[in-house]
Amino acid sequence: MEYSMNQLPQAINSDAKTQSSENQNSEVASDNSAGQTLDSENVDSNTLAAVLQFLQKHNLKGTAEALKKEARLKEDQLRDAQALQVDSEATNLLSSYKSEGDPNAYEKAYLSYRRFVESSLDVYKHELSLVLYPLFVHMYLEMIYNNHEAEASKFMERFSIDQEDYYQEDLKKVSFITKKEHMKGSDLMENFKSSQFTVRMSRDTYSVLKRFLQDKNQSIVMNVIQEHLYVDMYEGVPRNKAQVESTAGAMEGEANRQVNKTKIYYGLLKEPDIQLSVVEEEEDGEPGEGGEKPKKKKPKKDPLLNKKAKSDPNAPPASRLPLPDLRDIDKLEKVRALREASKRVALGPDSLPSICFYTMLNCAETVTCVEFCEDSSLLAAGFSDSILKVWSLVPQKLRAMKPAEQLADIDKEAEDVLVRMMDDKTGETMKVLYGHCGPVYSASFSHDRTLLLSSSEDATIRLWSLQTWTCLVVYKGHIYPVWDVRFSPHGYYFSSVGHDRTARLWATDHHQPLRIFAGHYSDVDVVQFHPNSNYVATGSSDRSVRLWDCVSGNCVRLMTGHKGTVSALCFSTDGRFLASGGADQKVLLWDLAHGHLLADLPGHTMTISSLAFSRDGTVFATASLDGSIQLWDFFRMTDESSLEDVNISGHNPDLLKRSNVIESLRLARYPTKATPVMSLHFTRRNLLLAAGMFEG
Amino acid sequence: MSEYEATGSLNLPTESMKIMAESVGVAGLSDSAAKELADEINFRLKTVIQDATKFMHHGKRKRLSTMDIDHALKIKNIEPLYGFSNPDHIPFRFASGGGRELHFLEDKELDIADIIGGSLPKLPLDVSLRAHWLSIDGIQPAVPENPPSLSKDQQRLESSDPVSKLAKIGDKTQKKSTTLTATNKPKTETVQVKQLTAHELSVEQQLYYKEITEACVGSDEARRAEAFQSLASDPGLHQMLPRLCTFIAEGVRVNVVQNNLAPLIYLMRMVKALLSNQTLYLEKYLHELVPAVTSCMVSKQLCLRPEVDNHWALRDFSSRLIAQICKNYHTTTNNCQTRVTRLFCRALANDKMPLASFYGALVGLSELGTEVIKAFIIPKIRAIGERIEPFLDGTGQANADRIAASHIKQLTIKVMVPILKVTRQPPDNVDDYRQEFGYLGPALHGAVNRARSQTTTTTASSGVISSAAAGSLGLSAGRGTIVVGGASGSATTSRNQSSAVANAASNPTKYMFVTSRPSTPVQATAPQTTQVVKLVSGAGQANKQTVMTTNQPKYVMVNSSQIVRDVGNKAPIKMEGTEGTPEVKMESSVVIKTENITILDD
Repeated sequence: MEYSMNQLPQAINSDAKTQSSENQNSEVASDNSAGQTLDSENVDSNTLAAVLQFLQKHNLKGTAEALKKEARLKEDQLRDAQALQVDSEATNLLSSYKSEGDPNAYEKAYLSYRRFVESSLDVYKHELSLVLYPLFVHMYLEMIYNNHEAEASKFMERFSIDQEDYYQEDLKKVSFITKKEHMKGSDLMENFKSSQFTVRMSRDTYSVLKRFLQDKNQSIVMNVIQEHLYVDMYEGVPRNKAQVESTAGAMEGEANRQVNKTKIYYGLLKEPDIQLSVVEEEEDGEPGEGGEKPKKKKPKKDPLLNKKAKSDPNAPPASRLPLPDLRDIDKLEKVRALREASKRVALGPDSLPSICFYTMLNCAETVTCVEFCEDSSLLAAGFSDSILKVWSLVPQKLRAMKPAEQLADIDKEAEDVLVRMMDDKTGETMKVLYGHCGPVYSASFSHDRTLLLSSSEDATIRLWSLQTWTCLVVYKGHIYPVWDVRFSPHGYYFSSVGHDRTARLWATDHHQPLRIFAGHYSDVDVVQFHPNSNYVATGSSDRSVRLWDCVSGNCVRLMTGHKGTVSALCFSTDGRFLASGGADQKVLLWDLAHGHLLADLPGHTMTISSLAFSRDGTVFATASLDGSIQLWDFFRMTDESSLEDVNISGHNPDLLKRSNVIESLRLARYPTKATPVMSLHFTRRNLLLAAGMFEG
Repeated sequence: MSEYEATGSLNLPTESMKIMAESVGVAGLSDSAAKELADEINFRLKTVIQDATKFMHHGKRKRLSTMDIDHALKIKNIEPLYGFSNPDHIPFRFASGGGRELHFLEDKELDIADIIGGSLPKLPLDVSLRAHWLSIDGIQPAVPENPPSLSKDQQRLESSDPVSKLAKIGDKTQKKSTTLTATNKPKTETVQVKQLTAHELSVEQQLYYKEITEACVGSDEARRAEAFQSLASDPGLHQMLPRLCTFIAEGVRVNVVQNNLAPLIYLMRMVKALLSNQTLYLEKYLHELVPAVTSCMVSKQLCLRPEVDNHWALRDFSSRLIAQICKNYHTTTNNCQTRVTRLFCRALANDKMPLASFYGALVGLSELGTEVIKAFIIPKIRAIGERIEPFLDGTGQANADRIAASHIKQLTIKVMVPILKVTRQPPDNVDDYRQEFGYLGPALHGAVNRARSQTTTTTASSGVISSAAAGSLGLSAGRGTIVVGGASGSATTSRNQSSAVANAASNPTKYMFVTSRPSTPVQATAPQTTQVVKLVSGAGQANKQTVMTTNQPKYVMVNSSQIVRDVGNKAPIKMEGTEGTPEVKMESSVVIKTENITILDD
């Protein structure tokens, strides 16, 4: 068993918490410290008790006696302290729920607040209604904590229907808690007690709320709002219903505006200058067609290179994140990519891409992930029976390297040394990689196609060589299942996320993670590298999307608006936009510059499984487990949303919500017969590849 | 919210706790302890299941598996419950007794020796990767890997409620026209109508149409089989349906006038193929199909030599098609079955109707089900008898009329016997029958009697029939049987076919291709006249002796008084006609013109 028995879940959680408080979440930190000062006396005696225990354990009786005498601790006091220490952690955090109130008062208080929301002016109504859900949950928990179980369940039964649909799943989890003892250890509970639910409202709305609380002397409501809510106030007009709904839904409420203020470098890195080698390579590498090709290619290639050579003001400095130097083989690869790119089909509403669909047969319900490699020559699939299969999608077979004694005979100076290294006898169209001992949940190719990463239920990440077809490294760091792993577009770095609510940044040559990104309130389900490798985006079951800075380790963007688990992420080709898809069947498009929601693309009927931008950034493809692929006009999408309108009020610009606009952005929809689509990939020539397992 | 209530009610009751405690040896658990336990266990179970769903989602599945539960337990540091993985659903057993009810999993004892000694289970197929084009330049090609571009439900909706389609198109045009002035409205409406009537066929579709129609009525039997196969299975045909239906309707019109039997048969087989295509909804095209099919049933003359050619088979086949159409597409709005029934009834009532048409109407009614037979044919039996009596008894009548009359007689008997057998109580009295049914009474009486005595002795050979039917289309007529073999027929199938022919007569089967016969062998009912025309293909080496070349479609005609029991046998085929030379026609992949489907007349 991979999980060591002495590593208790609490340890990780507290670890994660300190990390998060250091990182960005100042509320959490203050919350914790407040809890500590409250019981400063207890803490004191706790410390003493701990010291005493230590002394007793090591048989230092004399010192222990002296300490006892000096601290004037009585035996019973000590016992108390020890008992206290056992559940001090839970008690401290939960004690805020302690109240002597009459359980029936909650129902009345909730009703009166609801009535107040209903009777308030329409302008304020929607922002005020945001308070209803946290109010409801905290009241329920308070009742449970004070052993009013029967009333609590009645309260739950009566009012849980009122709450928004997207909270129902959480409410179900909350409703599982019917005893004070259950409150410990429930992950959802930990969120509610440790973090503050953020409610964003305008100053006007807030003053209306304050007046209500003072006038009516609503001590219960007031208490909840003061203890557990963070009101993020802004100047300006209160938001309307659509605006409120578009960003509501995350486990921790809405994103605090302050969080998204940091400047981020979303531009692309400058491409290394390899133009010289381009021409050389072409003449050297392809003598057969070298005669005329360079002449043709040159004019085409130049603009491509020039465009990239222009320095982007939003690009991070090249030295910001140390990247591996380009090897010769990488340069060759870049040349190949450029050559392919020059043959690219320009896409648009009038020229839609062709879609080639790879259906996996005879494997109903066993395939857990499918992944294409960057140049579309390889396909990897993870299975629930712990194996990983790699197919070659091109005529070229998958070959393994020759054994060491044969390698020694090869002339290392030869031109085709790389070809000679490989053993033709081992050529196969499909190879199987054995090693994991749990379902393989994700796979990711390195850009040079020599390495493959996979993550599994067995809490490990494995690095495979696609030259020897063996496992090179097992990265053990996560202690719970690893849901997703992804190679950086520049290689060397990779990032992983898992059930332990953290995202981690690794380098292939380190056993330990370089960064641990903690802050999500539930499982982190998906991760994606920014095209410039400086950032990673993560999507979580807490229904939020976060962007982390790989260099500082800080959370630089928090985006809320999904109403279900985030299941797919993809950066736009230019690095400015992020698309996210979720179990709520929505595809949301974010502007990273400000962290704003730009568009909400409806139309799928099941969890979104994969997203892809075409190589020229004009067409956006979404795939879902409902077995359909949809294409969207991304060019018009960004064109129509007013990007330059840097909004002052701090909340979202109007969404492209009007349904006819959204409908006109949808270019096409392609259903499959009975194959949930699991992966999408645009080839360098803008052919769309898709893969899924046949279920019929 | 109902969802919440559902979870709220999904609690293990305290009684379960007590039973479980008992099962592990704790007797007399107190109520309060059971309640405490139940609460705790409910909470734990729910959290485990909740975690398990995470594994399900990440496994891209829609069904929770036992493995998910194991993984959820593992992350909670609980030992998983090993040995509960089962690919199938495990049913709970139920037992009650002593006032208690129990659901439990049956734990069967397995004999280890059986498992070790038993044969290994079949290896599952290896995972394979298959590529196809989901879209080519933005257009989804209509290949079998892709779903049909217009689902059957949608086709049904559009045919029953054309407004829905109009609204959709109107939506699009109106969106554009809103920018124009309001006075343009009448104009946009005319545009809508034009869009509705325009059926664009791509170049590929036009080519397909040409190929298919040529193959269907052309001379190459192998291509024809392919074409029918394509019509019956291709998912993207709905766009071409109007063309294909018009082709069928026009084809029938021309060939009925010119009395070309073979093309009519092919066209009917086309209808059959379209009917069996799962992705098509033909309701919109019934106005073309129904008249065409009915023409093939009741037309006065369908072939050049009515007394020789077996046009009865076509009539029978078409009548089954019409029955299928009625069954599939009868709605309260189109009243298809009612109208068809009325048409045939009127034809039966008409005294001037030629006998061939009379037969067509009769067979059409008889295919529409027992209720129709009871309501419309039984009262008319006497009239039918009177109608055909002069032709069968009189000597000076034309040969064609005599044949027609005897066909009608056979048909009536065949249709009536199964019903009379049930409705009438034995003993059967000839006089009763004569009184009730007139001229046909004695014949019916005899047939019913035979049927009663033979029900126990005849054995079904439906398996054989199905094998014959699967590869071929059988057209059965009152007196003769035609079996048109597919191009892929092998020696064994042809043997089956021949025995099928022998047994078909005795087996009232439901297979579409082989008509239910009166439950008497052919020889018994009409020993001197029954003939079988058999078209076999690729009959194998046995037939080398008799001029045929192997692996070519061949058409064999046999007098079935001596049914050829074993075509595949080494023995040369024995063919003895009662008169004249036995006629064997062998043509390798040639047009079946009408003369090929001739019947030896005696």
